[in-house]
Amino acid sequence: MKTLAATCALMLATSAATAQRQSSIALRADAFMMWVHSDTGLARASLRGPGFGGEGRLVVNGLLFGLGLLEGQLKPSSAAATAPPLDLVQGTVYVGGRLAPWLEMTVGPVVRAYVTDSSTERWVFWQARARVDAPIVVGKLGSYLEVWRALASDVNLPTGARRIQGGEAGVVYQPPRQRVWLRLSYRMDDALLGGGRPGGNETMEAITLSGGIVVP
Amino acid sequence: MSRGLSVVVLLLAAASRLPAQSANDLLQQGVRAYQRLEYDAAVALLRESLLHRQPMALADSQRARALSYLAATELFQQQRDSAAAAFRDLVRLDPRYRPDELIFPPQVTNLYEEVRRSTKVLSVQVPPSMELRPRTKESFTARVITTSVLPVQVTLARDDGTPVRTLWNGRIADSLVVTWDGTTTDGGALPEDGHYVLRVAPNPATEDGPRPLQVTLDITQEPPDTLSWPPPPTAPTLLPERTSASPALGSLAAGTLAGGAVVALPALFGRSGDATGARFVVAAAVSIAGLVGFFAHQPRPIEANIRANAPARAEWQRRVEAVKSENAKRRGSARLLIRTGPVTVAERAP
Repeated sequence: MKTLAATCALMLATSAATAQRQSSIALRADAFMMWVHSDTGLARASLRGPGFGGEGRLVVNGLLFGLGLLEGQLKPSSAAATAPPLDLVQGTVYVGGRLAPWLEMTVGPVVRAYVTDSSTERWVFWQARARVDAPIVVGKLGSYLEVWRALASDVNLPTGARRIQGGEAGVVYQPPRQRVWLRLSYRMDDALLGGGRPGGNETMEAITLSGGIVVP
Repeated sequence: MSRGLSVVVLLLAAASRLPAQSANDLLQQGVRAYQRLEYDAAVALLRESLLHRQPMALADSQRARALSYLAATELFQQQRDSAAAAFRDLVRLDPRYRPDELIFPPQVTNLYEEVRRSTKVLSVQVPPSMELRPRTKESFTARVITTSVLPVQVTLARDDGTPVRTLWNGRIADSLVVTWDGTTTDGGALPEDGHYVLRVAPNPATEDGPRPLQVTLDITQEPPDTLSWPPPPTAPTLLPERTSASPALGSLAAGTLAGGAVVALPALFGRSGDATGARFVVAAAVSIAGLVGFFAHQPRPIEANIRANAPARAEWQRRVEAVKSENAKRRGSARLLIRTGPVTVAERAP
């Protein structure tokens, strides 16, 4: 928890110092295809399904405040699989700042739930993110890479959770002189399960098509 | 008797001191003997001073002085032929020399003029070296001196005999300054580097006339210093006229790295064995975006900057043309360095 507090404080102080004093609101809508691979050590399951999500962020004096929500319906990848279908719901809140024109850092809690008819697997973790933007055609095309790692995590599984980390990369297209943009990205994260059983993990992948708008 | 004895004594005394005395000392003693009217001693001393050879010989000016006193002394001793012979030597030595009328009486100077008129002598004087810019008012000069009216031809030729220019062909009464502007008859071209001969000869040559003279000229062309071209305008004077290639490479790198990251994410953060191959679609899209950026950023002309740079380029071109013109002018005005050799007697023309 100390690490989390120190990371937040450092990030906020740095972003405030480098603030460009411009305020904006950005909204984003996501449509994605998701794959979840689960290996508890006792059973393996692969599910996939479409999902939708959205995110809003506010930039004030160089500080970022954002929240996001996504929801998907996952079904077993093969007809022979016995795993039950489930719903995925994830909520995110973060705060951070842009330390350089090409570097953004955020931190915040993430709550993820896999819901079946009979049970709910709930993850809660504090996530630190770093995002690097690299323009391809300035003002039109850009690429980005984002990595994150959980600073603290909790899951309501008997095995408990160990480290959670992941990344996302993609390309962003912004039409000339427009505030809207489109994005195609791939993301994945991997959670190691504890309990002394090596090999237990849950991996989530997603290919996302997003559209957004920035309102200064 | 006593006079003859004194002369003998003087000669003996002079002879005994000769080896130790220079030609100048003998000349001074001869002049003093002349002034004391001791003509026999003066003749002996003056003749002795004239017998010295290089490097102990008298300078030409002193030699002329010695001959003047010798001729005067001989004349006062009623030796007119000997006096005339001395004056002939004097005329041949320096046709422009005149015995001082404040020192010598008219009978001496009259004899000199008589001898000078009857002695046909041709002489030429040239500077030891000079620099000459051809086709200008500058010129190489040679002073041709005669003791009587004489038809003379002055020519310049290569040392192999190839004629270059005829500088004078006519009569010279006393002296004439012959000039050469540094060009040849070949369209006013400059002479090539090499050895040349300036020949001064009676024209036509006669058996009893003076012998022709020649001077060797060593001519070298010295090319003029030309101006260096003005440096072409560069940044920051000029605005860039083409876009840089760096953004193109940066775009390609960004697309390639992001595409590679998409492919590598499962291996970096999870278990790649479970990862879906669908990510390759995203990786391809990102990489294609990088290629699009690469081609979109290919260097291309920046018309606005080209227009803005046009006056600076025109000014540079104008200065280049000015330097070209100045250099062409300078190349046409090469200097000639002329070194002259001694005046020598040439063979008579056949």
